[in-house]
Amino acid sequence: MSTTYTERVAGSALRDFVTDFAQVLSIATFFIICLVFFGTMSDVFLTPANLLNIVRQAAPILVVAVAMTMVITTAGIDLSVGSQVAFINALAAITISAGVPWPVAIVLMLAAGAMIGGVQGWFVSYQGIPAFIVTLAGLSIYRGAALLLTEGYSIPIRDADGFLWLGRGTLLGIPVPALIAVLVVIAGFVVMWRTPYGRQIIACGSNLEAARRVGMPARRVVNSVYVLTGVASALAALLLAARLGSGSSNAAQGFELQVIAGVVLGGTSLMGGKTSMIGTVLGTLTIAVIGNGLILMHVSPFFTQIVTGVIILLAIWMNTRLFTGTWKIGKGASNG
Amino acid sequence: MMATDTSIAPEGETSPSGGKPLMSLKGIRKTFGSHQALRGVDLDIFAGECVGLIGDNAAGKSTLSKIIAGTHIPDDGHMMLRDEPVRFQSPADARARHIEMVYQDLSLCDHIDVVGNLFLGREMTKGPFLDQDQMIKRAEEMLARLEIRIPRLTAKVEKLSGGQRQAIAIARAASFEPDILIMDEPTSALAVAEVEAVLGLINRVKERGVGVILVTHRMQDLFRVCDRIAVMYEGTKVAERRTQDTNLEELVDLIVGKGGH
Repeated sequence: MSTTYTERVAGSALRDFVTDFAQVLSIATFFIICLVFFGTMSDVFLTPANLLNIVRQAAPILVVAVAMTMVITTAGIDLSVGSQVAFINALAAITISAGVPWPVAIVLMLAAGAMIGGVQGWFVSYQGIPAFIVTLAGLSIYRGAALLLTEGYSIPIRDADGFLWLGRGTLLGIPVPALIAVLVVIAGFVVMWRTPYGRQIIACGSNLEAARRVGMPARRVVNSVYVLTGVASALAALLLAARLGSGSSNAAQGFELQVIAGVVLGGTSLMGGKTSMIGTVLGTLTIAVIGNGLILMHVSPFFTQIVTGVIILLAIWMNTRLFTGTWKIGKGASNG
Repeated sequence: MMATDTSIAPEGETSPSGGKPLMSLKGIRKTFGSHQALRGVDLDIFAGECVGLIGDNAAGKSTLSKIIAGTHIPDDGHMMLRDEPVRFQSPADARARHIEMVYQDLSLCDHIDVVGNLFLGREMTKGPFLDQDQMIKRAEEMLARLEIRIPRLTAKVEKLSGGQRQAIAIARAASFEPDILIMDEPTSALAVAEVEAVLGLINRVKERGVGVILVTHRMQDLFRVCDRIAVMYEGTKVAERRTQDTNLEELVDLIVGKGGH
């Protein structure tokens, strides 16, 4: 009578990789399918000029989406980013046309964004009011403030060529807004991937009480991510103002929904904890590509919104049903 | 731990070594709304001994241990750590004083990998960045010392079994040189070999002079590692016994309220 013990062998590393990154792989696949589809349907879609145009237009969304990824990772939401963009956009135009040098105006606007976000974050983290409510109020307040400032008029920005270069210029053939967006994306990626602060953000979203118990400044971390969406919204507002050469209270209508759709499409969970900065970039670009591609295919712009919405729903449905760990298809395909 | 010491005075118990307590709680009270969770509890913890904290559900064991760990702030009462009065405002304060706790709910972050959870709140850094390689190396040592087997340290904790998760929570609390180690039901989800490893661990850290508080329902564990056993009932400490002076029967009577001190 002998008893033999054997050890389990480790599973394949490839399978672990696929399981860990299922969400990003699926949105990447979907993004490539979109590129191929629109590339074959339209001759101009894949030209460098058009691709650069897409990135230039997506830049403000991308900048805010990076910060929004952090907010959603803490299981929060910021619905006020579109209104913040409009408010800062108008404020920037007014400040610059009042004769304030544009570099000073930029610093002031970023600080204003940080302050707005800081106040909202304080209500969320220290006062315990749901982020949805706080930022829904913010959505109304800042859009109203923008209307009040401009009285509904568009305010032109003149004699600030350096400022307008930020929105219209190119560096080494690449649009400046795109370069700024790429820098923000890289910074956001590194922060979430390999810094203690990123780790704190994920911990707070994953298990807030656990984060507190291991001594993390949980409330301060939650507050800080709203400061980041504030700053990112201010940056996006500056990019928009510089591209359009004016400030308007009607800027960035529906902006918050585009941003949130991009983040969620990328696989960041609204329940918190689960996060993917690469997914956010791919999700945001996918939405931008779909919008651009449909226009190039001469689909009615009214129809574009419907198609975008349906595709987002389908993509997220696929994400949750087909790509969550198990690859089985059929009854009980999903385990999460 | 002298067998000759047969009686326990109701107040001012003598220590196993006759020295001063590492930590001393006096008259701790805690109320949640209208519920009196703790109604004036005294407890001493000595270096190098294990105190078992037993009692029925809602007797106040977890609340008391969370107060020591800084998770709850007591409404009333005093806490002395090495003859110095302390008031913990947060778990971070307690952790800074080398008090570690294994929580009943484990307090792990499901979306963070095994290494990240082991180092949660004290991440190793290289410059501004997390030093993942160094943390993996240290984590392997930590787990090996506790005879815990986790196949992949970069797997997310949500992928692990209940026992593995509990093992990680224990490794996290035990591996950073605590002076006081509080364990709330640490063995409830563990496999046979892992329970042995945890009991072995408790005996080892005791030898290093750590004061251990063990909250458990598993009576057989108490007799393996505890030097003293405190019984809680309805938010009070009703009895305290030296392990060698008591038996299972007496403890069960004390827990259900038939003690009659």
